[in-house]
Amino acid sequence: MSKATDVEFFIIEAIRGIGRSPLMSFVAIGIVTVTLTIFGFFLLGVVNLGNVVSGMAAKLDLTCYVDRDLAPRDAAELQLKLSKMEGVEKVTYYSKDDSWKSFKQDYSGKLELSEVVSDNPLPNTFAVKVRNPEVLPQVAKNISQMSEIDEVRYSGKLLGQVKHFVDVIRLAGFVFVLLLFFATLLIVVNTIRLTVLARETDIYIMKLVGATGSFIRWPFVIEGILIGVAGGILAVVLLRGSYDALAFKIASAFPFLPVVSDAFLLNFIFISVALCGTVLGMIGGYISVSRLIKNA
Amino acid sequence: MIELKDVSKVFQNGVEALLNINLHIGREEFVFLVGPSGAGKTTLMKLLYREESPSIGEVIVDRIKVNEIKEEQIPFLRRNIGVVFQDYKLLLRRTVYENVAFALQVTGAPRSQIRRLTMQALELVGMVKRAKSFPNELSGGEKQKTCIARAIVNNPPILLADEPTGNLDPQTSWDIMELLDKINRRKTTVLVSTHNKNIVDGMKKRVVAIEGGRITRDQQLGMYSQQ
Repeated sequence: MSKATDVEFFIIEAIRGIGRSPLMSFVAIGIVTVTLTIFGFFLLGVVNLGNVVSGMAAKLDLTCYVDRDLAPRDAAELQLKLSKMEGVEKVTYYSKDDSWKSFKQDYSGKLELSEVVSDNPLPNTFAVKVRNPEVLPQVAKNISQMSEIDEVRYSGKLLGQVKHFVDVIRLAGFVFVLLLFFATLLIVVNTIRLTVLARETDIYIMKLVGATGSFIRWPFVIEGILIGVAGGILAVVLLRGSYDALAFKIASAFPFLPVVSDAFLLNFIFISVALCGTVLGMIGGYISVSRLIKNA
Repeated sequence: MIELKDVSKVFQNGVEALLNINLHIGREEFVFLVGPSGAGKTTLMKLLYREESPSIGEVIVDRIKVNEIKEEQIPFLRRNIGVVFQDYKLLLRRTVYENVAFALQVTGAPRSQIRRLTMQALELVGMVKRAKSFPNELSGGEKQKTCIARAIVNNPPILLADEPTGNLDPQTSWDIMELLDKINRRKTTVLVSTHNKNIVDGMKKRVVAIEGGRITRDQQLGMYSQQ
C-alpha cells in the first residue's frame, strides 16, 4: 500500500469535495469566519479588560513613614535599602520639610496653619512602587518589620477588591471562551455535516467496495481543515482590521483606558484564532463523517 | 465458497425475512436465487457481505465466518465480494473510469495498478470507449456494465448480483447475463437474484427458489418455476 498515493488521493478528494458543493462550502467558510470573529473579539475583550484592571492594580503603592528627623544621608541610605528589597520597583523620598512646604502651598489662603500647629507635624515619607500588585501585602509586611520605619500604609482593602475583580474577570472570561469554543464547534460540526450529508451515497458505496473507516474519514477531515483554515484566515483579517480601527477610536476618545497594543500578544491571539479554525474544522470534519459512517 | 447453516433473520419490527436457511454454494458455481419480491433474496445477499447479520445461524464466505468477524474486518471481507445492484449505485459526479477505479483506490492500490486493472475491467464489460462519460450520459445497460466492472475490478472470488436486470429491456438483460456468465467462466462464483423467468429458463443454471423466507427448491439446471 502506497502511503503517498493515499495522501494524494485524500487531498484531491477533499478539494473535489469542496468544488462539488461550492455554495455549501462557501456557507461553511462564512459561518466559521463569523463565529471565529466573534470568538476572537471576545478574546480581545477579555485581554483588554484584564489589562484595564491590571493597570488599576499597578497604580497601587505603599507609603512608609518615618517620624524622626532624617539627615539627607540617612534618608538616602534608607531609600537604597528599600529599593533593594524583593518585589520593589521604585522608591521615591519626600522629606518632612518638602511635604510640609507642598502642604502649605496646597492650602495657602484656605487655612492659616500657624494658628493650628506651630511645628511641622508631617513625617518623612517613602513612596514604594512594587513590581506586581500581588506582592504588595508581602512587601508591606517586610517593610513594617524594619526598625527604621514607623508606619506602613497601603490600600489593602482596595487591592483585595481589585484582585478579586481580576480573578472573577479571568474565570468568567475562561468559562465564556470555553463555552464559545464549544458553541463554535457545534456550529462548525453541523455546517460541515451539511456538506458531508450531500455525499451519503458516496460513503455508502465506499463502504460497500471495502474502504476502511479511516480511509473514508480522511478526505472529509482534510476538507474540514481546509474550511477551518479559510474561515480562520478570513476571521483574522476581519479582526485585525477592525481591532486596529476600534483601538484607535477608543484611544482617542478615552485616553486613560489602556488599550492592548502589544504586537506579540495580539499576534498570539490572531494566531490562536486561526489555529482554532483549523482545529475546529478538523474536529468538525471528523465528528460529522464519523456519525455518517456509522449510519450509512 | 458460500455456506449458510440454520440461518434465520428477524428484523427488529418483527418481520421474519429468512427462516432456517441451509445453503451451500461451491467454488466457481453460477446460482440463480429466484422468488417473488419480499421473499428474502436481498436479505440473504446482504448477510453475505455483512450489511445485515443473522439473528441465528452461521454465514461462511470463503472460509470466513461472516457473522463473527469484527466491525473493523468488514472492509477486508467486502474486498473479496463484488456486488452489483439493480439501481447501479454509481457515483454521479465521477466518470465511468473513476467509478471503477474508485473500488481500487479505497484499497490503497498503487496508481499504475489501478490504471491497468481498471482498463482491464472496462475492456471485459465493453466500456472502454465510454470511460470518460458520466453516469447520466449512459443507458441503463451501460450503467449496469459499469457497476459490474466496479464489482470485478479487484478480481474478487465472489460476485453477487441483486436483480441486475430489474431495470433493463430484454435484449440488454441478456447482454448483462452473458457478461455475468463470462465472469463465472473466469472462475468467479456468481450468485444472481432475479425474477426474470426468461433468463433463468434460458441459462439453465442451478436455481434456488425462496419464498416467505424459506428455501422451497434447490435444483441443478433448474427453471424459474417448478416443472
